[in-house]
Formats: sequence, structure tokens, C-alpha cells
Amino acid sequence: MTSRRRTAASRAKRAPSAAEPDLFADPAAGAAPYDRRHDERAADASPALDTPLIPGESPASAVPVTTLTRIAKDVLEGAFMPLWIRGEVSDFKKHRNGHWYFCLRDEASQVRCVVWSRDQRRIPAAPDDGMQLSVLGQLTVYTARGDMQLVVTAMEAAGDGLWRKALEETRARLQRDGLLAPERKRRLPLLPRRVAVVTSPSGAALHDIISVIRRRAPSVEIIVVAAKVQGDGAPEELVDAIERVDRWREADTVIIGRGGGAREDLWAFNDERVARAVAACGTPTISAVGHEVDVTLCDLVADVRAATPSAAAEAAVPVLADLRASLAGLGDMLVSAMQRRTSSERMRVANEGRMLQRVAAHMVERRRTQLEAIGAQLHALSPLAVLGRGYAVARALDGATLQRAAQFRAGLAFDLILRDGTVRATVDDVTPDAPDVRAPRDPSA
Amino acid sequence: MSYETDLLRIESIIEELERDDLELDRALALFQEGVERLRTATAALSDVEGQVRMLVENAAGGFSLAELGG
Repeated sequence: MTSRRRTAASRAKRAPSAAEPDLFADPAAGAAPYDRRHDERAADASPALDTPLIPGESPASAVPVTTLTRIAKDVLEGAFMPLWIRGEVSDFKKHRNGHWYFCLRDEASQVRCVVWSRDQRRIPAAPDDGMQLSVLGQLTVYTARGDMQLVVTAMEAAGDGLWRKALEETRARLQRDGLLAPERKRRLPLLPRRVAVVTSPSGAALHDIISVIRRRAPSVEIIVVAAKVQGDGAPEELVDAIERVDRWREADTVIIGRGGGAREDLWAFNDERVARAVAACGTPTISAVGHEVDVTLCDLVADVRAATPSAAAEAAVPVLADLRASLAGLGDMLVSAMQRRTSSERMRVANEGRMLQRVAAHMVERRRTQLEAIGAQLHALSPLAVLGRGYAVARALDGATLQRAAQFRAGLAFDLILRDGTVRATVDDVTPDAPDVRAPRDPSA
Repeated sequence: MSYETDLLRIESIIEELERDDLELDRALALFQEGVERLRTATAALSDVEGQVRMLVENAAGGFSLAELGG
């Protein structure tokens, strides 16, 4: 359909064709194709020729319908600049071929409207019947039907209706897929080594993010992942950048955002593809789009929503000085816990040592008493005790006690053990006693 | 991430050290580990300024980091 329109338009500007010479002679003057002066001039210029038939002037010069509608189309398109028209939507239809058809009407009139599918990209959502719209359209004729129609390339609904509708529709889809669930939110790492920033490399947002990170945590590396953040192709570039970071896997936190702007400028961050890419990102995400008041779908699916790019940088990295202080505190706690542990241990050891000493001393004392008693007992029983009473014991040099006279013979050396020493002696003579004198011991002998 | 892991570990070590029934050998080992982790965590808070670079993906799917604006 589009190509046919173009063909008709270009033909209108071409030199007269053989079939319809006069009708296309001067499209700029098309508003008055039946100007009589034209014919008079023609007659003056070539008086010899027969007066030609004026198209449509008589049944003989009847014009085909197609010619009529083409002329009407050219006239309309030439007479009207694209204009903003307001009215209420009715009979909205989304055709299989992708184009939108509807009527725009007020109390008294209506005009048919069409939005070609290629022009729909800039329109946030399809309008609904009953919506009050302002549309930017070129008035033309749909030649196949002979209808006048407005070819719409932009539209705005009262009260941001279309934007709101588009947002709500996408939001509902994300919600249905569970992407807005609070339990999906991941915690950001406390101290990332690398923060990736998906944004425009030339934007103010990047500048803000870099300066905040530098101030708070200078050692953190910042990786810029360039993407167009507004205009045609921005959603695609944002999705691509987010997926690139995800594949890279070296970033600990990803900030996705841009500075403030008109609502249309922020719209890429409401794009469903962008929101889904953020939701699917394996690295924890911070979304920071525009100012405090701007909330985008990207904000809703990210793990953390920051009001501004600066706030995103603050959420991404801690103040290193604070961290250092709390780490020092932790170190102190560790040392004092250990000291408590060792000092209590030392006390315990000391206590147990004292106890052991006491027990040991007591034990030694008891043993000593015991030993003394046994010693006294032993002493009382010792044959040597008899020596104290003036007796002596004879003992052979090998230590055997000599008790009988038969054990002695003249010349034998032996020892006499006395109370206070030993006397070496030699036997002179041995006289055994008579057996009867000896005993009540052995009466039978 | 490792910084956080170190921090959490040090906290749990302190907690464990404060228990009365902990054997001294174990306490010493824990303390040693705590000090080691404290050192690692402190090193992570270095003052060395990190770079700002641009992530570039080549056709083969590999990645490189380019100077910003270069």
C-alpha cells in the first residue's frame, strides 16, 4: 500500500504521460485543473488544432475513477501540511497486516485514520476507543476506496494516557512473569572490585557516577559499557550492553542508568526488552534513571533502585574510610576475645596448679606418716634390735648367719655383728654341747 | 565478595572465641585465621586508584578493556 502511494505521488510530479497528458501537466496548479484560460492559451498557441476535449466535461471525455481519486489525493496532500488534530477514538482495529485503523471524531464529524506499522514504534501504546487523542497526520485519500483518511505518525492522549497504558501493560506482563517479586532482589556486594556502568559514555550520569565512586572508594575499578540511552535504537543498545556485561562476568555490580530528561528521553528504560534484560542479568543491578520522581520499569526489576546516578554510585560502593574504621574495630574485638580466652585459660591453669600442689603435698604427707609407722613396726621386729640389748650375731664372710657350733671350725674367720660395729674374729677351738643339756627343744633326740 | 566473606568469618571467629568450652588449641588456630583474614580484608581497602575503562567485546566473543574515549 505504501509503495503504491509513493508511485502515485511520483507520477504526479512527472512530465505528462501519453495516456493522460493534461491531467498531470502541472500538479502545482492542480487546484484548478479545469481552468478555461489553459484551453484558451492552448488554442492561441496552436490555432490550427481542433479544440481538444476537456477531461470530464462531457460523457465523451469522462475521467476514470482512478484518475479522479488520484487527483483528489494529490490535491489534498498538496493543500494540507501534516497537522495536529484532536478528537475521540472509535472503531480502533489492529489489522493482521500490522497497521492500525480507527476513526477520530467529535460531536459532528469524523475522519478515518491509519497508522502504518513502521510509524508505530514511536507511539508508546495503541489507543483505546473513547480515548481523547491529538494525532499528527497527513490528510490524504485512500484511492482504493475513495475515502479521505488521515495518515497518523504521532499521537498523544490526554493525561499521558498512552504512556500510562503502555507502562501498565508492560508492567503487568513483567509482574505475571514474577520479575517484580521482592524476593528476587539480590543483595549488593559490600565492596565490589569492579563496577560496570551501562550508560552513554558522554552523559552527565557517567561523570557523576565516576566522581562519587572516586570519592568514596578510589580503588574500585569502573568499567563503562557504552549504550545509547535515548532515541531510536536505544533499547536495543541497552539490552546489548547489559547482556555483554553478563557474558563478561567480571563485574561485581552493574549500574544501569542515565541522567534526567523528558519523559520520551527516559522511555528506553521502560522498554520491556530492557526490563527483561535487567531482570535476567546474573550480576546484581542498580537502576538509576533520571531524577527522584522518575520511576521506570527498569527501576522496578533491578535489585536496587537509586533515585539518581549519584545515588546509584553511593549504593554501589561504601566509603572506604568507614570500612577501614569498622575493620579496625573488628580487629580489636578479635584480639580482646583472644586475650579474654587466654587470660581465663591462664587463670584456670593457675587454679588447677594450686589445687594439684595442695593435693600432692597432702599425699606426700600422708605417705610419710604411713612410712614412719611401718618403719617403726619393722624396727621393732628386726633381729638386729636384739643387738641393742648386748647380744652379738656371728656371720660368715659370705654373710650367712652362724648359729650352730657345727658351723665353726678352728681357724675360720667370721664377723661378729655388734650394736655399734663389726669385729673380725678367728675361731680357736670348737666345743659342741652335750645333747641332753641342749634342749627342751628336741625331747625326742 | 571475598571481603565480605572475610568479614563474616572474622565475626564468627570472635563469637566462637567468646565461648567458654573452646579448647585452647582450637582458639589459637581460630585467632590465627582471624588475623590472616583481617590482613586480607585490610589489603582490599587499598588506596590505589582504580581505572576507568571501557568494556569492548570482539567478534570472537572475547573481551578487552579499552581506555575511555580511546
